[in-house]
Amino acid sequence: MSRKLFFLAFGFYFGFVLSRVGASDYQVIFRMFTAEDLHLAWVILSAIIVANLGMRYLKVKGNLGREGRPIEIKKKELGRLSIIGAAIFGIGWGMAGACPGTVLAQIGEGKILALFTLSGMLFGTYLYGYLLARWPKIN
Amino acid sequence: MYQALFVDTWPWWVGGILIGLLVPALYYFHNTALGVSTGYGNLVKIISRSKLPWLQGEKFADTWGWRVFFIGGMVLGAFVAGLLMGGPILTREMTLFTEVLNWPFLASALYFFSGGLFLGLGARLAGGCTSGHSIHGVANLHKSSIIVTIVFLIFGAIAAALLRVFLLGGAAP
Repeated sequence: MSRKLFFLAFGFYFGFVLSRVGASDYQVIFRMFTAEDLHLAWVILSAIIVANLGMRYLKVKGNLGREGRPIEIKKKELGRLSIIGAAIFGIGWGMAGACPGTVLAQIGEGKILALFTLSGMLFGTYLYGYLLARWPKIN
Repeated sequence: MYQALFVDTWPWWVGGILIGLLVPALYYFHNTALGVSTGYGNLVKIISRSKLPWLQGEKFADTWGWRVFFIGGMVLGAFVAGLLMGGPILTREMTLFTEVLNWPFLASALYFFSGGLFLGLGARLAGGCTSGHSIHGVANLHKSSIIVTIVFLIFGAIAAALLRVFLLGGAAP
């Protein structure tokens, strides 16, 4: 299967699961942050544990992917403003009741307001590129 | 059976297992780290035909790269989930938000646009979002992702607490 078709299929799977587990519901996210309902917190925590076990399994098997290709784990380094960025992101997450993944599920479910969340994200992404061109130090 | 699979919200552990498996699966099949928000750079490049040096860099050299297809797949997957559930094709609702607040549509639209703006800018400065940092990075025990995730959660909780007090009523509805 071509690479792009593969990612279309895996994106389909991810969007379907996010929707079915309620991760795309504004109030499920809101109530995770107010600790009124920890359903989504358990989803995230169990996903982290399963992902960790899966990565351990691959490591035991020699860190080889399909057809014996070596797996290189990509590590994200912190930039100068990463902590501030994380705070800005957190405020957006709490406000919009969505993150860059779940907003896509909201749009698939036909939530018109999510289109505005997405537009904001695209504008915010552009703004980053614009600021980076003027102040390269923000990276 | 249909009800449990396609209508009722799945138990948390079903979602957790299925989402968690994505991380090793993407590494196994395509040596790729799970992540969504970087793909928004591809989308901005496609939509704006921007000449920003950041978007002309190596990371976005393949404008219509796999990330665009991953994003498109996510919308489609949720669309099918919505259809099977028997939900509306289009809705102005946003559960709690639109139930409690009787705002004009444009005001709500501006509100969600602002939230999105914070998410887009914040994700790029932080170097990733919930999937890239909080699931992929934390699962691989990367210190940077653990720090970023803690900050995500603290400020998400602050934002939700302020909303609870000032907009959505002090007590749970």
